[in-house]
Amino acid sequence: MARRYDSRTTIFSPEGRLYQIEYAMEAISHAGTVLGLLAKDGVVLAAEKKVTGKLLDMSGAKEGGYGGSGEKIFLLNSNVIAGVAGITADANSLVNYARTAAQRHLFTYNEDIPVEMLAQRLCDMKQGYTQFGGLRPFGVSLLYAGYDPHYEFQLYHSDPSGNYSGWKATCIGANNGTAQSLLKQEYKDDITVEEAIGLVLRVMSKTMDSTTLGSEKLEFAVLTLDRNTKLPKAKIYKPAEIDALLQQHDLGKKDEDTEMGSA
Amino acid sequence: MEYNGGSVIAMVGKGCVAIGSDLRLGNQALTVATNFEKVFPVTDRIYIGMSGLATDVATLREQFRFRVNMYTIKEEREIEPESFAHLVSSTLYERRFGPYFIEPVMAGLWKTQAGEYKPYIAAADLIGCLNFAKDFVVAGTASEKLFGVAEGLWEPDLEPEDLFETISQTLLNGVDRDAYSGWGAVIHVILPDKVITRTLKGRMD
Amino acid sequence: MECSFALTGKGYVLIAADTTAARSIVKMKIDEDKIKSLGPHLLMAYSGEPGDTTQFAEYIERNIRLYQIRNLYPLRPPSAASWIRRALADSLRSRKPYSVNLLLGGYDTSNHTPSLYWIDYLGTQAEVPFACHGYGSYFALSLLDRYHDPEANLEEGLAVLRRCIDEVSKRLVVSPGKYRVKVVDKDGIREIEF
Repeated sequence: MARRYDSRTTIFSPEGRLYQIEYAMEAISHAGTVLGLLAKDGVVLAAEKKVTGKLLDMSGAKEGGYGGSGEKIFLLNSNVIAGVAGITADANSLVNYARTAAQRHLFTYNEDIPVEMLAQRLCDMKQGYTQFGGLRPFGVSLLYAGYDPHYEFQLYHSDPSGNYSGWKATCIGANNGTAQSLLKQEYKDDITVEEAIGLVLRVMSKTMDSTTLGSEKLEFAVLTLDRNTKLPKAKIYKPAEIDALLQQHDLGKKDEDTEMGSA
Repeated sequence: MEYNGGSVIAMVGKGCVAIGSDLRLGNQALTVATNFEKVFPVTDRIYIGMSGLATDVATLREQFRFRVNMYTIKEEREIEPESFAHLVSSTLYERRFGPYFIEPVMAGLWKTQAGEYKPYIAAADLIGCLNFAKDFVVAGTASEKLFGVAEGLWEPDLEPEDLFETISQTLLNGVDRDAYSGWGAVIHVILPDKVITRTLKGRMD
Repeated sequence: MECSFALTGKGYVLIAADTTAARSIVKMKIDEDKIKSLGPHLLMAYSGEPGDTTQFAEYIERNIRLYQIRNLYPLRPPSAASWIRRALADSLRSRKPYSVNLLLGGYDTSNHTPSLYWIDYLGTQAEVPFACHGYGSYFALSLLDRYHDPEANLEEGLAVLRRCIDEVSKRLVVSPGKYRVKVVDKDGIREIEF
């Protein structure tokens, strides 16, 4: 029966459902986990990478660029970073759109785009793709971590239907239920960035399939205010920095593990 | 070019470059503001100064920022001074028959294959004809005077602090003989790892 | 002839504009309000070509209001100034440019700072501690150079404004008779009897 309402474009089924959107959401719940946490003096994002393997050429991520491997966490503007879950090709197109929208705002108003407005810009487009004929919706959910003078640090989530909402801590992708209940238990309102980094790493280590965390499976980013300039400063960690951070929190690979592997 | 007044200058040093402007914004002979900077950062190692019609200075500053940011996003690297100079040139030439009334001056450091940083300066006319110089470039209502003082003071291979002194003396003494420029100056000395920015007082009249 | 003045003080911006609407040598109206409120903390004094002034000011007013309705918060003064400047700069290179000069005074509630922008019909913008448009500027700017204090309270600010207006009335052949004075601070916008 469902065939009649989802084979071509997004039209309502007799029960009032839009199957294509539900399928898009389903695609996302299989994607790598992305976790965001809002602290009082910053926002933290972490993401699980799915495309790995030692034959994958990662030389571009090691140096150059602004950090990150370009799979899960992106810099949208100097004051906003985003974590994406879903179809990577769709995500790339949305990231490109977001960056252009942010630059257009900077051009007309001479200020960084407010975080919620950027989320709205993307959601306007996502919503359009659920309504106009012949096209499928974007199979992507995003977490936006950003700063603007109106509401200071913020964390938003948007889904393929074009809905968006603000969060203190949230998670998208595989195992998001587990992660969200962990976050609900552990979240405190006056959490600092340092504590938030620890919490995010702990939750990620519990929700991800692999036993040990490492830079080949994880992307990590923090948005804070620069101490001197008081302007937002986005830091997307490079692989070596992620490994160092994991060591610091006792979540990285142990030395004996590598020894056993080589034995 | 004489409507709002103002002057800019850039100079080459040893492994560094300097660029500066005066701070006056006028409405013909009437001074409207004494804090109007005409030099803007493009990347950590490139600055652009613009003299001429102030509305076009602001418009082009915003336009260059937009284009450079889009370049950085698409290329995933920062623009090099030479590419930026050509971006400026083509942006100006787009308006060949109804030009923006500004004369840009650019200063930056470019990274060689060996990883060293080499100085780069350039200037252009209002329709984007580039002028690459090895020593110094000037523009604005005091340009004739600046040419004269710079010709006398500049020498090759100046260290950062000596370059700062040379460009400061050139700019302050140049604009002192120009009614349309003055009210102090701002100087940026661009080094591979940092930029030294200093605001100078002049005759303030 | 048209005159407008503005100055910043400790936590406020004062804006004054004359109230005459003239055509050639004839006064058509003597109680015209040439200072618009663009938001809860933003004032704009406009002068220039009659017709262009009201058309342009209303266009700006409506668009700034639209932004506030869409986004639930108003544009901050620096962003509003940049947007208005762009509108004039684009207009300058259009078939029929607006010839409108503006003084834009605002109080930024997100960082508690007053700011004043001088904008002319070409789209030239400058952030300044005090500003004037019209023939009054030839007298008032030098007075403001001498007497302006960015830390002055409202009474002291009004006293400086009084000096400017008195000087213009005394020395300018075609001086306007009456002014409207408005102030913007942390509490919003008020008109001051002058």
